[in-house]
Amino acid sequence: MATYPLGSLSTGALEMGATGVPRLESGGAERARTISELDDIDELVRQHQARIRRFAAYSTGDPDLAESITQDTLLRAFRGRDKFRGDCSVSTWLTGIAINVIRDHLRSNRFKFWRQVQAKGVDAQEMASFLPSDAVSQERRMLAQERVKRLYEVLETLSENQRTVFLLKFSEELSVDEISAILGMAVNTVRTHLHRALKAVRGRVGEGI
Amino acid sequence: MTGELGKHLSEEALDDVLIGLGTAESEAHLAGCAACRAKAEAFAGDVRLFNAASAAWSEARGMRPVVVAAEAPVRRMPFALVGSAAAAVLAIAVGVSVGHHRHGTMRGDGGPGAVEDSQTQIAQDNELLQAVSVAISPQEVSPVDEYGLTARHKKHRKAHPK
Repeated sequence: MATYPLGSLSTGALEMGATGVPRLESGGAERARTISELDDIDELVRQHQARIRRFAAYSTGDPDLAESITQDTLLRAFRGRDKFRGDCSVSTWLTGIAINVIRDHLRSNRFKFWRQVQAKGVDAQEMASFLPSDAVSQERRMLAQERVKRLYEVLETLSENQRTVFLLKFSEELSVDEISAILGMAVNTVRTHLHRALKAVRGRVGEGI
Repeated sequence: MTGELGKHLSEEALDDVLIGLGTAESEAHLAGCAACRAKAEAFAGDVRLFNAASAAWSEARGMRPVVVAAEAPVRRMPFALVGSAAAAVLAIAVGVSVGHHRHGTMRGDGGPGAVEDSQTQIAQDNELLQAVSVAISPQEVSPVDEYGLTARHKKHRKAHPK
């Protein structure tokens, strides 16, 4: 499969299982490691907490809510670890649980949620300041921070579905088929959301910089 | 899949490549076209920066332990005890009902005396059922005992005889 210098972005779909969900990366040894990973709550936290928190925070726009969603996701995963069949990676499985937790929360607390977002959303400037320095010049660093900030601001303007599929594709690095499976959404619908999100991001991130 | 000029990828084709659904033709074009590749790389660069910053932001918030509370075992009454209690309640209820029915039938007058007698019977029945209720759930404090409802009820009846 040909790849282009797009960093971590893949230009092709992952190898898929017959059911449309990705196969576990390797065989029995990997599965055994995965199961023991799920049995150890501290290991789950160590391996996945930061990633789930990031996804939850940038999906909902609320860092405090993201903490609660992350805790709930890990707890549900630990308690439901017997249900993990190894059809996909633990990471993808956890992301699916996080999406359900977010949906549950949005369903039950929609008004409260939006009020909270208005009051204490993710601070784009603060987030951009976490950009690793990598010994680049101050000017380039400021430009990079500005682009990160802009990207986040554009994400905030997207619809809930567009933002979620964008994050799943480009931050969680799932394939369109995986996103379709995890969201229970038709592949063509996922594509449509991605196209709209990309149009907004590519069109507006560079504006005014 | 190229634009109107036939030189560059259309925005939609470029998006398809970025999404991972590009055709072989699009990918071949991208490999040989510096302008289209620059667009793709600009987007990929922005995403990389965003991912790096957001991951660092999340990690900086530290690890928070997830406390798995031990699930309290569900207290279940033994099946035999539940069965016995249910049978006892049923037997008493049937007995009270039959006794009450016979009592009423034997008097057969239906006058004011019958009403008075019936009120007394109801009070007795209630006391009996409360006693049964207390007897079959000894682990819980009965509200009857806790608030002295029976004593108050009697006192009330003494103070206000009908």
